[in-house]
Amino acid sequence: MSNPYLYAKQAAGVLVMLLLSTSAAIASKETDSLRKQLQEMKLQMQRIQNTYEQQIKALEKRLDGLESEQSRPATVARLPAAPRSAQQTNRSSDFQIGLTGLLSAGGSSVDNASLEGLQSGGHDPNKNGFTLQNLELSMGGTVGPYFDAQANLIFLIDAEGETVVELEEAFFTTRSLPHGLQLKGGQYFTEFGRQNKQHPHTWSFVDQPVILSRFFGGDGLRSQGVRASWLLPTEWYSELYLGMQNPKGETVTSFLNAPGEDIGGHTLIDRSVRNFDDLLYSVRWLNGIDVSDTVSMNLGFSGLYGPNASGTTTDTRIIGADLYLKWQAAQSQRGFPFVSWHTEILDRRYEAGDPGDSSRETLNDWGMFTQALWGFKPGWVAGLRAEYAKADGNTSSDPLRDTRKRLSPNLTWYPNEYSKVRLQYNRDWTEHLADETADSVWLQFEYNLGSHAAHVF
Amino acid sequence: MRNSIQILFGLVLLSSSWASYSAIRVVTTTQDLAAIAAAVGGQYVTVQSLTPGTRDPHFASAKPSMIRKVFRADLLLVIGADMEIGWLPPLLQSARNARVLPGNNGYLDLSTAVPLLGKMDGIVSRAMGDVHAKGNPHYWLDPRNGIRLAQAIANRLGELDPEHREAYQQQFTDFQNRLNNKFTIWRNELAQLKGKSVIAYHNSFIYLADAFEFNIVDEVEPKPGISPSAASLNALVTHIRADKIDLLIMEPYYERRSAQYLNVETGIRIAVLPQSVGAQTDIKNYIELFDSIVTILKNTIGK
Repeated sequence: MSNPYLYAKQAAGVLVMLLLSTSAAIASKETDSLRKQLQEMKLQMQRIQNTYEQQIKALEKRLDGLESEQSRPATVARLPAAPRSAQQTNRSSDFQIGLTGLLSAGGSSVDNASLEGLQSGGHDPNKNGFTLQNLELSMGGTVGPYFDAQANLIFLIDAEGETVVELEEAFFTTRSLPHGLQLKGGQYFTEFGRQNKQHPHTWSFVDQPVILSRFFGGDGLRSQGVRASWLLPTEWYSELYLGMQNPKGETVTSFLNAPGEDIGGHTLIDRSVRNFDDLLYSVRWLNGIDVSDTVSMNLGFSGLYGPNASGTTTDTRIIGADLYLKWQAAQSQRGFPFVSWHTEILDRRYEAGDPGDSSRETLNDWGMFTQALWGFKPGWVAGLRAEYAKADGNTSSDPLRDTRKRLSPNLTWYPNEYSKVRLQYNRDWTEHLADETADSVWLQFEYNLGSHAAHVF
Repeated sequence: MRNSIQILFGLVLLSSSWASYSAIRVVTTTQDLAAIAAAVGGQYVTVQSLTPGTRDPHFASAKPSMIRKVFRADLLLVIGADMEIGWLPPLLQSARNARVLPGNNGYLDLSTAVPLLGKMDGIVSRAMGDVHAKGNPHYWLDPRNGIRLAQAIANRLGELDPEHREAYQQQFTDFQNRLNNKFTIWRNELAQLKGKSVIAYHNSFIYLADAFEFNIVDEVEPKPGISPSAASLNALVTHIRADKIDLLIMEPYYERRSAQYLNVETGIRIAVLPQSVGAQTDIKNYIELFDSIVTILKNTIGK
């Protein structure tokens, strides 16, 4: 059966196909010329656009110039020298961010409970097995022509396995005050002695000195406040620091430590700051001289005065002296060889109990540490530290006030500037432990990522 | 009469002390920059270097005495290209002298005045060792860069002290002429070094190689700043033998054992080159630095 409709449809199909193929053939011939035309048009458009953009930019520039001329005060005859930063080197921002990890492993002849009394620094390796001592995230940079700012955040895992976050430091410093003055404000380590300001990853030993743990608590002496420092107009380097900080919290343990805590049998009360008399005042005088081309010396004296929480009117004062000597060979490869010697001595008078209290007394404590480092070949440092701490009265059962001696030899290897491996042995002599002596060995590993601001001296 | 003489004498003393006070205080991070600044600054400047030429300026340790010097400086000259990254930023923060902070007229980063070699593109990882992404900072070891540095310093001194601008330019021109004359002599003396393959201890001599047209083909350090191991030294022995390399150059402050080992194994000759003004006590200025380098190289290859 022939279907005329189907036939017509087929014919139409063939016709359409024919048409399509011919038009395609024609099109393929024409495409090239069309493309060329299109390309030329595009180029022309581009040229026009470019010229317009250039003209607009030129106009904008003139407009900017006119505006800034108008806004410039007529009285200023000569503008101060313009910052050249644009054409100078600092193409990259000076905002710096860095991460430092400090891990340790080790063991002791005493159990974990006893170790907490021996290793009382908050970032000390303090348990048999592994310790994540400190993971520090540090950021800083220049805020503007007048200020720099910095913040250090600490993460650590404590003896109970809990993750702890500390806002270790967050402060600003001025850049350009006249007459050698500088202000610093925020949360920061108090300038007392040489060691207190150092972050755990710059320590020369795996743990902090006993006497600092006793006077300043596990995390070093730091609080919120302001300090001014003045570079004295002397021929040698001499700087005077005067500071004022909040005396309250667990990072100022010799002052308004947390209520309920105990010192020498006195339970601390909740005492608050009422006026300027109740703030923590600090003073430091630091001197530095070059003894010769290869030997330099720093000598500092520090003092603290503030309220303590054993009574409503009680005060604490701490004084200290620190000496640092460093010899570095005239010809040194990567800073080696060198020998350094660092000693600090501290004394505390703690007024315990208000006048009239039957238990009122003055607690006298003192202590010292002395440590020597010998960088005997590039990347290798041998160290030895000796410590002594003592308090008046019957303190033999108190881990923070008994007579304590510690000797710590160690060996550090720096595979490069950004990492180190350290092995340390501690020999402890105590009164508060049944054993009286303890032997501990710690292996520490540190790494640095990103740019971490170098630490001075 | 006697009184008036005394007053006059006092006035002279006062004015002379004023004059010495008004000299531009230039502080530099290295003795090389100090030497060039002294040459173009002449009597109108006082120059102090923060680090001695005997040490690697990359590993200087900041000392309190440096704070004092930077605090009083009118002009701070730095090598830049991250050379002083480990100690200059905290030093500048402590020195509280706005005049010499980056961005101000009293701060001059001289790495901007020379064409830097060895710039790194792409990802820079510390796994590569001590690399400087911004370029190799040892650029003072090319006398032609010495001229560029002197020009930049003279220009900046002229801006800070317009009264003596012409004197600085004159002293720069003198320095340039002396250095150009010397450069021709040095190049003649080291003609036989041209095209030679040389081993360096650290990648710090590429500018010297560029100036005197020799090629540094390998380094004793397997990676910049990484000490050689037994394996890396043996690989180097193979390289030295295969390519018949007969000169090793190194700074005086690097350990000599590796070089001596290579010398025993392959007979390669070792030239310990002062890398900076002050590296040896008899090198007091920039020209003496190259006099000394050229003499040592000539004597070593002429043996």
